[in-house]
Amino acid sequence: MTFQEIILSLHEFWKSHDCILTQPYDTEKGAGTFNPATFLRAIGPEPWRAAYIEPCRRPTDGRYGENPNRLQHYFQYQVVLKPAPADSQDLYLQSLAHLGLDPFQHDIQFLQDDWESPTLGAWGLGWEVRLDGMEITQFTYFQEVGSLEMDPVTVELTYGLERIAMYLQDVDNVYDLQWTEGVRYGELYHESEVQWSIYNFETADINLLQTSFDRLEKECLQLLEHSRGLVLPAYDCCMKCSHFFNVLDARGAISVAQRTGYIGRVRNLARKCAKAYFDQRQNLGFPLLNMKEPIPASKVRKKR
Amino acid sequence: MVKGSSSQQPKVTSLPLLVEIGTEEIPTTFLSQALQDLAALGQELLDECRLSYHEIRTVGTSRRLVLLVDGVQTQQSSLKQEIVGPPKSAAFDAAGLPTKAAQGFAKSQGVSVEQLTFKETPKGLYLVVNKHERGKSAKQVLASSLPGYLAKLTFAKAMRWNASQAKFARPIRWMAVLLGPQVLKIEFAGIVSGGVTWGHRFYKRKGKNPGQAVPLTNASTYITTMSKLGVLVDPDERRVLIQSQIATLATLGKGQIDPVHREELTEEAVWGVEYPHAILGTFHKEFLALPDRVLMSSMKEHQGFLSLVGKDGTLLPKFVAVTNTPWGNTTLITKGNERVLSARLKDAQYFLQEDENQPLHERVAALDGVMFHHKLGTMRQKVERIQDLTGWMAMTLGRDDLKDVCQRAALLSKADLTTGMVGEFPNLQGVMGEEYAGRNGERPEVSKAIGEHYLPRFPDDALPTSLPGMLLACADRVDSIASFFIVGMRPSGSEDPLGLRRAAYGLVRIMSETVFKLNVVDVFEQMIQILAKQGVGHGGPTTVTEVMEFIVERLRFYGRSTMGLRDDVMEAVTRVRSKDSADLGDLLSRMQALQVIVNQPDFEPLMIGFKRAHRIVEKESWQHVAVSPERFQHDAERQLFSLFNKVRQEVTDCVANQEYAGALQLLLTFKSAIDEFFSAVLVNDPDPLIRENRLSLLTAIDHLFLTIADFSCLQSAGAEMG
Repeated sequence: MTFQEIILSLHEFWKSHDCILTQPYDTEKGAGTFNPATFLRAIGPEPWRAAYIEPCRRPTDGRYGENPNRLQHYFQYQVVLKPAPADSQDLYLQSLAHLGLDPFQHDIQFLQDDWESPTLGAWGLGWEVRLDGMEITQFTYFQEVGSLEMDPVTVELTYGLERIAMYLQDVDNVYDLQWTEGVRYGELYHESEVQWSIYNFETADINLLQTSFDRLEKECLQLLEHSRGLVLPAYDCCMKCSHFFNVLDARGAISVAQRTGYIGRVRNLARKCAKAYFDQRQNLGFPLLNMKEPIPASKVRKKR
Repeated sequence: MVKGSSSQQPKVTSLPLLVEIGTEEIPTTFLSQALQDLAALGQELLDECRLSYHEIRTVGTSRRLVLLVDGVQTQQSSLKQEIVGPPKSAAFDAAGLPTKAAQGFAKSQGVSVEQLTFKETPKGLYLVVNKHERGKSAKQVLASSLPGYLAKLTFAKAMRWNASQAKFARPIRWMAVLLGPQVLKIEFAGIVSGGVTWGHRFYKRKGKNPGQAVPLTNASTYITTMSKLGVLVDPDERRVLIQSQIATLATLGKGQIDPVHREELTEEAVWGVEYPHAILGTFHKEFLALPDRVLMSSMKEHQGFLSLVGKDGTLLPKFVAVTNTPWGNTTLITKGNERVLSARLKDAQYFLQEDENQPLHERVAALDGVMFHHKLGTMRQKVERIQDLTGWMAMTLGRDDLKDVCQRAALLSKADLTTGMVGEFPNLQGVMGEEYAGRNGERPEVSKAIGEHYLPRFPDDALPTSLPGMLLACADRVDSIASFFIVGMRPSGSEDPLGLRRAAYGLVRIMSETVFKLNVVDVFEQMIQILAKQGVGHGGPTTVTEVMEFIVERLRFYGRSTMGLRDDVMEAVTRVRSKDSADLGDLLSRMQALQVIVNQPDFEPLMIGFKRAHRIVEKESWQHVAVSPERFQHDAERQLFSLFNKVRQEVTDCVANQEYAGALQLLLTFKSAIDEFFSAVLVNDPDPLIRENRLSLLTAIDHLFLTIADFSCLQSAGAEMG
């Protein structure tokens, strides 16, 4: 199964389980959780089921294209289900079978994983799912997002697409993956890994990044004060701050002492955005509570 | 006052009870405790329900917590209660009519005044009500009480998952509650119980749809039913199976399971699987060039693999993993696990190569960027402090020859925190420091001290064996304790986020179990000066006093838990602790000697006399003045004084030579002289000069005793030790 077929297969599976196939969000981010389709939609009482692929950037994981397993830019497949259905685990295992990973052939284990994102003021409990010893998915029941308690609880499934593909295609090097027949992952992304590693580790303009961080932080706070309540643009600023922080970190421009400070600043923005988003949805009367399609209430409340 | 009594009911029969809480995978580390708690709650539940039973046990896996009770009485015993109310005198007025007290009592008990009777008690006639509550069926009482008890199960970390807002370690997905063949319907955490269960996730029974619910027919057959569904619910059974499987595979792999982590990893596997199936995997020989600890950490920390060693104890390029399925494709599963390990080891190789590009001494500067604590600055500053302190300690011990080694080791002690390998495997701090120091050509004593300075990592861990290792280990801990105390971050209650109790315990062990002797007060005073030089806080005499209280508290914990020392004995010794006797090993020797002597038969009578003398002196707050033998009126006084003069120097010498048993034996000789003194004379003589002289004599003796311990703290034999 090629890389793109894996994506299509997951789309197909989750579409058939009433997920909206939303799209990646067009701002740099470290994980699919940052996408408003997860971070913001997890907040408040409105039901939500979405699946999407998310390109993620982790500047410190760059290896100049030389490590067979580590990338500074990679893809997550993200599924969010709210409220968390009683058969979340079964659905997940069915999705693996749909990919051709027969759970009865392999050793699949759900190992404790207490997930926390200090920058998003978010935490949850769940597992890392291991397939024959390899971590392929993060499975998390959110308990807090933006420091708000989740009610109802959202479950988040994050598939590591490269890992799964390497397994399915039986290759040891990520760059050898078949994106589609005749086109390797390396052909699409190797040069990008090299260039971005050089940029992130060696040439990114520290001053520019620091200034940008400061100004976007200010912008975010101002947007939240705007009379129209510009929560969505404000949250974009928060994401950008988080990304600039990550680049600064890779660039070695942040001492351990400063680190906590930067994380606290991003978290402050995330919290404010979360609260403002909740208030805004509340003022709108939580519109999705009454939405008929594509999330039929009967299916959302469906129990085991 | 409530009196209960169970009446005998001949027809009662008994049935087994099953409570299965079906969950999503609960963290393995929670399970053993959860099952203990569940058993205790089961017992409370049955007691509260007044249901007798034969035996309670709990079994389970990460997907099910199971309470099994054998022989539960099917009918609750009836309850006869006699409740005593107000006395008759208060219950009826002069006209013989019931008072408000009588009416109130009847009302509170839900009966009419006419139903009340009298009872003769030692205090007179009292109003009583006799109640008789008929026993209900076990099914009925269990169903109503069980949810309340399940709600009492708690976990170190719990979560919400559904509208009930209940908290549990992981979501509950079903509950099966059966009394014999009968299904009990209860509701807990938004889940309604039934008579069905789910088997192993990945076990396909012939002709059945996996993942389908399976009816349970009787509580009594639960364990066998589950084994047919691919689940060994009894952890002991899984343990035995895992042990035999891994032993077989070790033999097959021509080695044996590395004993260091065998128990720990076996236990992890016991709770991680519903049906164990161990597999044997291999990795490429080239990885054996990695340091053993790195190989073992890669296998253990990341993958939970057991490593294999050959006859000579060296690692083999093999591992054993415990999977959760004997029904899968073992070849495929083994290959997958091998691939993952190989990727991990490649990473480790990469880190090793990268790390070696920069020797440790060049990494010290980078510690400027590693925070020790935001109130206390960087690791670089900490390193400077412990460098200073270890140097001072070596000099103070007269080991000028070791000063250089100690300071070099201190300088490099934290440099491995900046390496990629320690970033990946934080538990290899120190271990990698030693490894890299060796590779960088540091002196062996330096490498060893770096490797040893985190010891002991846990209470009964090994201690450093080299003197530089011991000094560095002490200095590191003294620095943490003193600096956090100075900035006001002391452990409180059960909270100790900075691990200062563990640090102090390690310090106590090193300073009392190893050979070198340093005055711990001097060490902390030196440390506070070093901190002041760096501008950290204003530690002073009070800080030292507080730190010492903290250290002594840990010392007592150590004495209690490892030497079985009595609290009063430790208190008696620590009360007379002074700056000069601040050698922790010495304090422990005193405590041990004292504990031996207090158990001797002649000690107790001595204590009676001594305590009497001590009380008098204390009451008078008598200041010691020279005893004047010419004012003695009685032989008993003279004899006591001459004994004192004879023994004093010997006692002092013994104490100076730390021969506490000898000193204590000498004190025992005072028994008869003290007794005779008190029977012959009254301290409170009308002549103030005689009285004062006697007080001075007792004070002199009291002071002599106090050179060893404050005996007034000792509790007499037979008294409860607190």
